[in-house]
Amino acid sequence: MPSKTLLRNLRLVSGLVLMLFVIGHLANLALGLHSLGAMGAWRVLLLDPWRTPVGAGLLVASAVVHTALGLYAIATRRSFSMSRTDAVQLVLGLLTPPMLITHVVATHIAAEFGKDFNFVYGQMLAVYWSFAPRYAFQQLFVVMMVWIHGALGLYAWLVLLPSWKRIGGVVLPVLFAVPILALLGFAESGRAVLERLDTDPAWKTLIIEHLRPIAAMVARMEAGKDRVLIAYAVLVALAVGVMLVRMLRDRARPVQVSYDGGQTAQGRRGLSVLEISLAGDVAHAHVCSGRGRCGTCRVQVEQGALALSPLNDLEESTLARVHAPPGARLACQARVLGPGVVVTRLLPAYADASAAREPASWGLESAAHLPEPSP
Amino acid sequence: MMAWMLAAKERVAVWGADLAQAPDEWQSWIDALSLSVMSGTGVRAITYSLILLLVGGSAEWLFWTYAYAPLRALHATVAHSAREAVRLGLRRLVLLCAGVLLFTGATIAASAMLSWPDGVHEAVVAVTLWLMVVRLCWAVVDVLLAPGRSARRLAPVRPRHVPWLAALAVLVALLGSAARFLPELIEQTGNVPYSAGVLRLVLATLTALLLLLGAFVFFGPPVRSAARRSRLPTFPRSFLVAALVVMAYAVWLLGSPAVSTIAIVLAIVLVLQMVLRSAVFFFWSERWNAHRDAAARVEAGADAGQRQTLMPHIVLSAMRFIVVLVGLGACAVALDTPITDLATRQGPLVRFAFSLLGVAALGLLTHLVWIAVRTTIDQRLQNIGPLDPHGDPNPQARLLTLLPLLRMTAAAALAVMLLLSSLWAVGIEITPLLAGAGVLGLALGFGAQALVRDVIAGIFFLAEDAFRIGEYIESGTTTKGTVERITLRTVALRHHNGPLHFVPYGALGTVRNNSRDWVIEKFNLPLPIDVDSETVRKLIKKVGEAMLQDEEVGHLLREPLKGKLSRIDPGVKVFRCKFETTPGKQFDVRAQAIKRLEAALKAAGIGFADGRQVVYLQRMEDPVQVVGAAPA
Repeated sequence: MPSKTLLRNLRLVSGLVLMLFVIGHLANLALGLHSLGAMGAWRVLLLDPWRTPVGAGLLVASAVVHTALGLYAIATRRSFSMSRTDAVQLVLGLLTPPMLITHVVATHIAAEFGKDFNFVYGQMLAVYWSFAPRYAFQQLFVVMMVWIHGALGLYAWLVLLPSWKRIGGVVLPVLFAVPILALLGFAESGRAVLERLDTDPAWKTLIIEHLRPIAAMVARMEAGKDRVLIAYAVLVALAVGVMLVRMLRDRARPVQVSYDGGQTAQGRRGLSVLEISLAGDVAHAHVCSGRGRCGTCRVQVEQGALALSPLNDLEESTLARVHAPPGARLACQARVLGPGVVVTRLLPAYADASAAREPASWGLESAAHLPEPSP
Repeated sequence: MMAWMLAAKERVAVWGADLAQAPDEWQSWIDALSLSVMSGTGVRAITYSLILLLVGGSAEWLFWTYAYAPLRALHATVAHSAREAVRLGLRRLVLLCAGVLLFTGATIAASAMLSWPDGVHEAVVAVTLWLMVVRLCWAVVDVLLAPGRSARRLAPVRPRHVPWLAALAVLVALLGSAARFLPELIEQTGNVPYSAGVLRLVLATLTALLLLLGAFVFFGPPVRSAARRSRLPTFPRSFLVAALVVMAYAVWLLGSPAVSTIAIVLAIVLVLQMVLRSAVFFFWSERWNAHRDAAARVEAGADAGQRQTLMPHIVLSAMRFIVVLVGLGACAVALDTPITDLATRQGPLVRFAFSLLGVAALGLLTHLVWIAVRTTIDQRLQNIGPLDPHGDPNPQARLLTLLPLLRMTAAAALAVMLLLSSLWAVGIEITPLLAGAGVLGLALGFGAQALVRDVIAGIFFLAEDAFRIGEYIESGTTTKGTVERITLRTVALRHHNGPLHFVPYGALGTVRNNSRDWVIEKFNLPLPIDVDSETVRKLIKKVGEAMLQDEEVGHLLREPLKGKLSRIDPGVKVFRCKFETTPGKQFDVRAQAIKRLEAALKAAGIGFADGRQVVYLQRMEDPVQVVGAAPA
């Protein structure tokens, strides 16, 4: 069993690297609001670092690690219960690699062509806007998908940090504004490119000439793409298969959990306490939706502590961070392995991210002492 | 009739033409469309659409960062009553709808700022509105049916039906709103009338099929069980609903748009009327008491009985009324009727239709009042329960007489008022009618003077609570007995010897009620002249105290037995005894008192005055006793 904290940090770092890469792209696009020249000029700073061996290596490593961790998360998933944003993030994350493959392969082929293939940014845009709109659609969608996936992940991470109160007012607008500005820049630069194509025949001829060798490579590109796609599909199928097997394995062994207030819920053996709560319609706070980060799902184990899976490192550090009382567990990490588990929820179900940022203000006592939501 | 048939035939011909022409037209349109999409125009359209999606999504995301915690708090709150559940549901609905509306507003506002290629802006706005309708429907379904969250459910749906019904509702909303927005859109932007017609046909047919499926599944035959088997067979509602769906679809297919709108609204109104009863009574069902703790239930139990039958009936009537009104309004809006003009328009048919509408409203209003009156009275009657005429007089007993009387009177009054106002609303002059009724009433009044006097006197007797069933009353010298029955005109008195007097209230006059509050009973105790008065007084008092402890009569006594010397006759001391009891019990208590007094006197060695007198004769040595009647 790999350390959960390590996995979490790996996912975070690789995601941040990829996010940085996308931000560079989007910022460059946003410059289109100014002029094509600005796009070309800033490209050196924003995009070219990723073409250096170090940058490319970092990028590829991050992409591979992040994809692998995503598939691993699917394979180790125990139930289908997830929040809407999680579902969106999952689907977008799964769809990104196949959508991105064309771009990656095209860049790879272009790199093989060597120095010849040194398009000016405007020429690339002309390809998208005039000669091959299909690629433009693909790129637009993939950039949006990656951005939404990343923004959701970034928000989920940042909102739990104590410093969110200071940086939130800046980060949230930036998360919203970057893709909108990029799209506006793309549209604006498109208008300029189309205008130049109409007025500057020499430029048009230049682009067509440059495109010719690429068109010849399309067949090879498609074949390579198919191979990668199939490999990816196999990997995804494998992950889903592992998940289904794990789910089906324990389906015949139901366990019950009792809560404060006399509620009970039932679920498969091996599910976490939180997953059983959600399946049984027991109101249970879970701001980070079961990632073990926020600590809002923490419970006091009254009985059956031995029927729960042992503490892992992630849970331990989170519990320490929120100053949980001894005997408390994170409901999202403690899996139920036997009968007779009785827990008391320590936070009310309506606890929000502030409960993770400032654990002291939400008190250490039981949820029973907090104000009941009044109708 | 023939004209309708011809119109229907024409419609069928139009559909046929649509179906025949659509494929080619569609193909060429799609070709043109893909050509224009695969160019700078298409890229621009897609880019702008993505911008809108981001703007709308950001607005909604921002909203939910604030609204999510309140929503979760609402989800975590357990409703203790139906009213609370409805309030929570409404709050949830407001939150969900606010998110959707924010998305729609932000998207449409942002779309106005971009310079779109031709025709795309309309398409984007149409799709946004379509999305809004579907999401609003989803919000309503989520609040009403709460799939997977039975505690929050606000509709009486069988649990296993819930996910399917939710899916059906959303699908129907999706298809129905698509049928509203999409054909029009492609007709306008692409100039493809035939394809639009076919799209409309396909969407409507799919919707009708889904609804038909829903009719058979959700109004399907009830589960066979012992309880169900004992019920009388009723007309299957699934068939009725299916027939309505087919009717609406057929009318839509063959009729003009106006007629089809009316048919669809009619079908919806009828189906709503069918489910309204169970939907309304759901909120007064036992389900909501289950969450309540026992103490609260006992506390609420007292007047809950009345509310539980009165309120749902009133709400149900009001809801039926509202559904019909909304249906009419929907028809008017859909047909683009100038409502304000309609009332002033001079067409006799229109005016008559309006008067009929007024009559219907009056009828519903009367029904509402009648339900309120009847349920209240029935509930009171049920609470009083049947009455035993020979048991203790029940203070509520007169209600048993008055309430049915009141109910009859209310029914008659409401019916007459409804009739008269309806006639007036339709435009028939009712003044002569009223005058005629007045004259007739006068004539009848003279003839039935005695009868009227009896009835009115009776109402006052009852209102003043002069007597109740089970009480012993006297009126004059001969009329006396226990009240056995109270009718509109007479009171039936059972004489203690058996005969039953029927006394009209008019002849009752002064009533002496012997069964009210308390009675004082007095009797004499004649004792020999030589007893010590003080001893006897104490003895009587002691007997009185002993009687208070008696199981049989103790609780009947209001004042204990007391006695005092009241008269001295020759050879006799007369002690006057008295006590106070509950009405009607004085005879039993007196018998008991005399029995005890006799025993006590005997124990004290005192005999009753025997009435013997000693006569002294002057010439005799010894006195000779002469037996004679002693003065009483």
